[in-house]
Amino acid sequence: MKDGLIKLSHGGGGVEMQELLYDVFKILPKSNDWRGRDQDAAYRQWPGSALRSSSIAGGKGGAKEGQKLVFTTDSYIVDPLFFPGGDIGKLAICGTINDLAVMGARPLGISLSLVIEEGFAIDDLKKILRSIAAVSRREKVAIVTGDTKVVEKGGVRGIVINTSGVGAVNHPVDNSGLRIGDLIIVSGGIGEHALAILAKRFNYQTKLKSDCQPLWRLIAPIKDYLTACKDPTRGGISSALNEMAQKSKVKIVLFEKQIPVKKEVRAMSEILGFSVYDLACEGRFVAGVPKNKIAKVLKILKKLPPVADPPWADKQKPAFIGRVDKGRGVILETELGKRILPMPEGKLVPRIC
Amino acid sequence: MEVCGTHTEAISRSGLRAVLPKKIELITGPGCPVCVTPQRDIDAVIGLARSGIPVACYGDVLRVPGTEMSLEQAKASGAKVRAVYSVEEAMVWQKSEPKVIFFGIGFETTAPMTASIIKRGLVVYCAHKYFPPAMLALSCDPQIKIDGFINPGHVSAIVGLKSYRAIKKPQVVAGFKPGDVLLAIIMLLRQIVAGEAIVENEYRRLVRPSGNRQAQKLLADVFTPADSEWRGLGTIPKSGMAIKRKYVKMDAEVIYGKVINRYFAKSKVKSHQPKADPPGAEKSKVCRCGEVIKGLIPPEKCRLFGRACTPEKPIGACMVSREGACRIKYEYK
Repeated sequence: MKDGLIKLSHGGGGVEMQELLYDVFKILPKSNDWRGRDQDAAYRQWPGSALRSSSIAGGKGGAKEGQKLVFTTDSYIVDPLFFPGGDIGKLAICGTINDLAVMGARPLGISLSLVIEEGFAIDDLKKILRSIAAVSRREKVAIVTGDTKVVEKGGVRGIVINTSGVGAVNHPVDNSGLRIGDLIIVSGGIGEHALAILAKRFNYQTKLKSDCQPLWRLIAPIKDYLTACKDPTRGGISSALNEMAQKSKVKIVLFEKQIPVKKEVRAMSEILGFSVYDLACEGRFVAGVPKNKIAKVLKILKKLPPVADPPWADKQKPAFIGRVDKGRGVILETELGKRILPMPEGKLVPRIC
Repeated sequence: MEVCGTHTEAISRSGLRAVLPKKIELITGPGCPVCVTPQRDIDAVIGLARSGIPVACYGDVLRVPGTEMSLEQAKASGAKVRAVYSVEEAMVWQKSEPKVIFFGIGFETTAPMTASIIKRGLVVYCAHKYFPPAMLALSCDPQIKIDGFINPGHVSAIVGLKSYRAIKKPQVVAGFKPGDVLLAIIMLLRQIVAGEAIVENEYRRLVRPSGNRQAQKLLADVFTPADSEWRGLGTIPKSGMAIKRKYVKMDAEVIYGKVINRYFAKSKVKSHQPKADPPGAEKSKVCRCGEVIKGLIPPEKCRLFGRACTPEKPIGACMVSREGACRIKYEYK
């Protein structure tokens, strides 16, 4: 890419596009398992062989009967594109890795589709690609195929990214498996992504950064103990837990004092008038754990190293925040009493993913 | 009576009502600025948006149903409508859309910021209101039995304590933590027992007795009191903020008066408030936001509450706004 701006011709299928793609491929690391990155579609051996041959942390050797292929997709339109703790690229690759991870599926490969506005700075595109590459390299999950389009000025705001991902799992952990008596955990502090975005938007001076991080290496060692799992993105833990309670046909009781919330998150959410429970996280999961496994799960999580590079490295701070009872809905036990924690509705938050 | 939407939300969020003795009843008053904005203003701004004028507004007002549609629906059908978190975002938008207007709603808390953008050359449709006159009207209403007021914390940060002295009821300006509200209730109870009716300040960490003089100066420079209609309460004298003549070029109602009238003439929208429901109108079919706002009935007494009227498909403004009594009751029930 000659430094400068994206032009319509970069999406035209001709010489300029080939040059753009050549530079894109130079930034994004290749996969050992997938072929055809520059073809119409990528291909690889069936997941069973991957589990035998791969060395990524969490992979088990030996293919098992009844293995399942998991497939997910997501699009990203976050504004601003660059925020403390990440950018739209990091968000996209982590988002898709996490959608696979919360199913208990090992990510095998990701597709990357870019829709870029004419006039977009190529330097910014490179930064975004480098963010994607950094996660891809560290997590050993390759971008194996993709597409690039350029639209006229005003057609999109800057850039829109779609990532799809495939993963492999023997026993999927879905989000409807909660059982009465299970306990609820969250893997860390809530609301940090949403407020990092808002802080940037309003120019608030804060050390808060997005919690955006890939979750596979946290979930892999505990996935067999989980009865249900979900990542609380848009709508925060209110949305995730209400959905899990509804699908599992149970009631979740949360202990407000035990839900980890950073001081900055509490302060900014009060200023802006949001409930912290409705705020998106992009590097957290909530899960149901049988009572007799909770100590083991929390111990494993606390011992795991950070999944990010400095200066964003964070020790894991999982917390036990609730229990599953007979009934319906989500109840929050506050300092003074109890109240319903509803599914968030129509609340206005900036585009965050 | 607590008269601030933020108090209503804070009280419900903490579950405070559940721990109060039965002899103390916390009534929710008209503290939600969106809820008390008359239908005419909502319709007028929708009319401007549909006539091609870009409109910046606070998020809460987007979904309030006008006579034909909401601002959100107008946006979906092509009108340039944008929800902003602050007036500064409207100023930024003005750079690419010079004709943008800002829909100013709220009390003394938000009005100074609107005043500042009027002075900086942004046209405003002003539906701001002064809050103490509404409290005075409520305190004189024989239908409403109030022993004391929990006064709004943020409005008081602007106006100070003086503006409330005409109201001859026990009053305490309170902060928003559960402890603040409880302390304010204790202070009110002491006044009631002692037969006093003064204005006390529990929220001393933020509210000065003289208020915020700079904000008051800004308000006085840009606005002048005018009689104003409050949805559910009727017309309250000298309770509306009218833009002063020296800033008439920033007054959307004046400079776009013909556009608004043309819209009202063309559409089904009437320029005056719809007639009151006929006597004996079935209560079950009628939105009772007006009575809810005055604290005469709790939201659940309205037959539409939770049935025909929910946050997903609101009928009255009280269900739309995040500070609306019906919305808060629905979410925290």
